[in-house]
Amino acid sequence: MEFIATQLSGFGTSLIGLVVDPTTYAYLIPSVFLGIVFGALPGLTATLAVTILTGFFGNKFPLDQALIALIGAYVGAIYGGSYPSILLNIPGTAASAATAMDGHPLTKSGRGGEALGITTTASFIGTLFGTFCLLIFVWVLLLVSQNIASPEKALLALFGILLSGTLMSQDLVIKGWISGLIGLAMAMVGLDPILSEERYIFDWSYLLSGFQVVPVLMGAFAIPQIMDGMRAAMAIGEVPKTLRIRPQLSEVRKRLPTILRSGGIGTGIGALPGVGEDVAGWVSYGVGKTTSKESSQFGKGSVDGLISAEAANNAAIGGALIPLLVLGIPGSPPAAALLGALKINNVIPGPTIDPALIIHIVAVLVLASVTMFLMGLFTARIFIAILRIPKTIFLPIVMVLTTIGSFSVGGGINDLFLMFGVGLLAYAMNVMHYPIAPLVIGVILGGLFDETFRRSLLISDGDLSIFVTRPGAAILLGLNILLVISQIPYFKSMPRRIFKRIAAR
Amino acid sequence: MNEKTILRVRDFWTSIFLIFLSVFFLFQTSYIPFLDTQVAGVDSADWYNSAALVPYGIFGAMLVLALGLLGIAIKDGGARLALQIAGIGFSKPELLRITCVCLILFFYIFGLVPRVDFILASSLLITCLIWGFHSENRLSMLISTASMATSGLYALAAHFPRSEWTKPHDDDWITLAIFIALTFMMFVLEKRNNSLTRVVKLTPLIAITAPLILVMSMAFGFRQNVPNRTGLLFSQIEYHYYVTLRPLWQGKK
Repeated sequence: MEFIATQLSGFGTSLIGLVVDPTTYAYLIPSVFLGIVFGALPGLTATLAVTILTGFFGNKFPLDQALIALIGAYVGAIYGGSYPSILLNIPGTAASAATAMDGHPLTKSGRGGEALGITTTASFIGTLFGTFCLLIFVWVLLLVSQNIASPEKALLALFGILLSGTLMSQDLVIKGWISGLIGLAMAMVGLDPILSEERYIFDWSYLLSGFQVVPVLMGAFAIPQIMDGMRAAMAIGEVPKTLRIRPQLSEVRKRLPTILRSGGIGTGIGALPGVGEDVAGWVSYGVGKTTSKESSQFGKGSVDGLISAEAANNAAIGGALIPLLVLGIPGSPPAAALLGALKINNVIPGPTIDPALIIHIVAVLVLASVTMFLMGLFTARIFIAILRIPKTIFLPIVMVLTTIGSFSVGGGINDLFLMFGVGLLAYAMNVMHYPIAPLVIGVILGGLFDETFRRSLLISDGDLSIFVTRPGAAILLGLNILLVISQIPYFKSMPRRIFKRIAAR
Repeated sequence: MNEKTILRVRDFWTSIFLIFLSVFFLFQTSYIPFLDTQVAGVDSADWYNSAALVPYGIFGAMLVLALGLLGIAIKDGGARLALQIAGIGFSKPELLRITCVCLILFFYIFGLVPRVDFILASSLLITCLIWGFHSENRLSMLISTASMATSGLYALAAHFPRSEWTKPHDDDWITLAIFIALTFMMFVLEKRNNSLTRVVKLTPLIAITAPLILVMSMAFGFRQNVPNRTGLLFSQIEYHYYVTLRPLWQGKK
């Protein structure tokens, strides 16, 4: 209890510091607004919002202020995705795809305003729930992480890539793993981290420093969206008229168990390395469908279904920051963009991270969620009006934003060439149903995996048993092996066969 | 043909490409010292510390997974149909549109951004993309692509070497002329077709103001680096910002 009280008092001091500082609002209000706009415009994502702002803030602003803008955009974008999902049945972000299942039927039955009100309130509570979990669990895990050494880090990085590949694949799981391997391969370019041996330079000196994170993120998330958006001229459907959006507090209070359950699921899935908000939304929706009293109404306009998806995807934000801050392993693609921002500001997340920074992030998350809630209630009409802007108008501007952002971080034209190359690769992968998130996670974690894996072997003089003799490493190795085996068709169908055999007896 | 079959046809070709890619990079990795790490008689590292260890694992795993994908594609009929259809899954108009988008982005990134004033290059890009792709009009798309290609090709051909990238030169004027000509043509053609929509009317305004605001806020607000500071427009803006405007509000004039 004393620990929680200490945390809360540190958090309170940081929050008051932010609240009384006018510059906080100069960063927070525009960034949350921009985030909601990015989320609301189909084709633009939360990752893109955070990445583009990373390009703008770079390392020329104090990290405390840059984080306000980046986290504000992150929270805003995850919430903003619900607007087109509910009103147009077009998910603004992948995270809000599950929201459309019940949000749009509610709109069709004339309850669009109510649906937006519930979404706004559920997202707000979901974000606060995730933030509270972040405040508590990050310290517990930081204590545990003191015992995490190179073998555990290597296996955890591998687990993140494998898990992301497994859960983000729409088609075959093998494609998610290949995507992760391509990302890992990209991270191998440049001077290796231990011996400074040149790898895959092809006589181009730019590659000596390896692939920069921000151009890779911009290329992977912006270029495919722009190309896909331009592929076919698409008229925006009629945006339905909605009544005033009110905070549906009584409705939400009635459904508090659903919100808490969804918040728990969202935080848990967000905390899994490399998975993120979209999987959290779907899993929570799936769980809601099986446990809710109104499960028969799911997909036809169930408020429980809407809350399940929305509370979870916003709670995943806090969850995604847990592995990022404790281990330097992003819990979601937008968190990967945040990691890029931390890195260009020379902050290395992990056991040695400044505790004040964690408290600051938690305080910013709370303020961002309050701002998002107020904006959702009072400026929703602006966001609804924005839905009428056709893709072909805003995507060219996004291309200019992406170009200038990518150039500014590295300060070189070569970064733009890299961005374009990665963009074409990501587009081709999109067309062939390869998930992009594992690629990005692979690029980000590749260096860490390479360094820690080889360092482990260096410590043990090449003895591979170091990965089984340490309890933490053994558990992680087991998880990696289980994850791979569970996807092999023979083993995948094993539980069903066992149950059948038992039933036959 | 259903989507799954088209996917498997694509997977068939992708897996073959991935197999070649893995083998190529495994071969490239063989240049990195692995088992024999002696350089000039000095042992630089052991196998377990070699820079080739992880890449061997990555490309080896990729080869195995690519073979697995090939197996799945063959089993699901991807190989049988591989030579019968293109397997891209795009209609011809979509393919043309995506090729045009690729060309426009290519000439923008590789031709214009390194050499031409960023505001001008971006204004041309925005006009090309909005007018060329907002409607289903094939002519406007082809004219837009040709405009960007002409501008980009000229910049590439006339000022290819890196040493010339940031110098002020004629390609800024060429891009400006093409941007004005394209805007004029857009209005003439749309008026002739009786389709002078609000989007068309707003295009020049968006094309000029969006990059202008972005570059200025980036350079003077966020104090970040911007491409081609010596460009036709930006050099003038920067000069007047520091020489005319800034002293004014600092009370030095």
